[in-house]
Amino acid sequence: MPGWMVVTSPASCWVPAPESQKVPGRKAHSWRLSVKPFMGEPGIFESPGTSLLEGLDQLWIVVVHNDPVNLMSYVSMVFRRVFGWSVQRAEKHMMEVHTKGRSVVWSGGREQAELYVQKLHGCLLLATLEKS
Amino acid sequence: MIFEISKSGNPLFSKIHPVLADILRAVALDPWERYPDGSARLLPPPGDDEELRSDWEDHVQPELRHHFDSERGLVFADLEAMKQGRGKNAAWSLEIPFKHCDAWLITLNALRLALVSENCFSEQELAHMTSPDLGTERGLALMSVNFYAFVQECLIRAMDVTDGESATPVDPD
Repeated sequence: MPGWMVVTSPASCWVPAPESQKVPGRKAHSWRLSVKPFMGEPGIFESPGTSLLEGLDQLWIVVVHNDPVNLMSYVSMVFRRVFGWSVQRAEKHMMEVHTKGRSVVWSGGREQAELYVQKLHGCLLLATLEKS
Repeated sequence: MIFEISKSGNPLFSKIHPVLADILRAVALDPWERYPDGSARLLPPPGDDEELRSDWEDHVQPELRHHFDSERGLVFADLEAMKQGRGKNAAWSLEIPFKHCDAWLITLNALRLALVSENCFSEQELAHMTSPDLGTERGLALMSVNFYAFVQECLIRAMDVTDGESATPVDPD
């Protein structure tokens, strides 16, 4: 009686992320897990050093750090433009950066976190992505 | 120097003293050439992860550098169009097309960051309200940083007025 196996490797079982989720020139960090029919004994196979859920549920946060050169009005404007926030929310995070030295402005998957950090760097804000 | 919105809806700086006009023209110069040490601040790392940093250096930072160079190109074109009144030491005027405001903000910010980093200005020096010693290069650099900040604030106010008239606030909270 065939069952199903969940594999983390070999690589042939992993499907690359769709083109719409890829960033040109960047290594693909996201992979879809493929579940294949298994004709042998049931079980879960894992290759050493690979976690089944690695990369799938890891949350990343985007942090903006204080730089005294950046005008507060400029930082607030960048937040509104990049994240689509209201004036109130942008000001709140801007003041958090100003008074506490940093503010977590977004959390989610790694690819999107990288895109946000790139946009913030494009506006010359100090931003990093960290594992949540 | 006067800041206003022109009849075309563009930010307009007028009665610019020739000395300030020269300081403005410096905005279009390449900060990587002028301030090689200070320009390191313009391309910061994205975090501590070594693989990410390497990836960032190879793929993202060249794109960012190209982006900054492109924006500076727009600023250069606008500065070339500055107009001087009649007379040897007449004042200048600069009208910035509204669609170039982002380019100006980024270029001004880049130069301010590079200047501050290159000269190692402290937060206290940046916040100091007294006039810097204009007889020194360092004093001139600090004055430039503050002058560029003033120009940035004017542009942000002009953009905020426009955003406030048409934008609908979005608050995913």
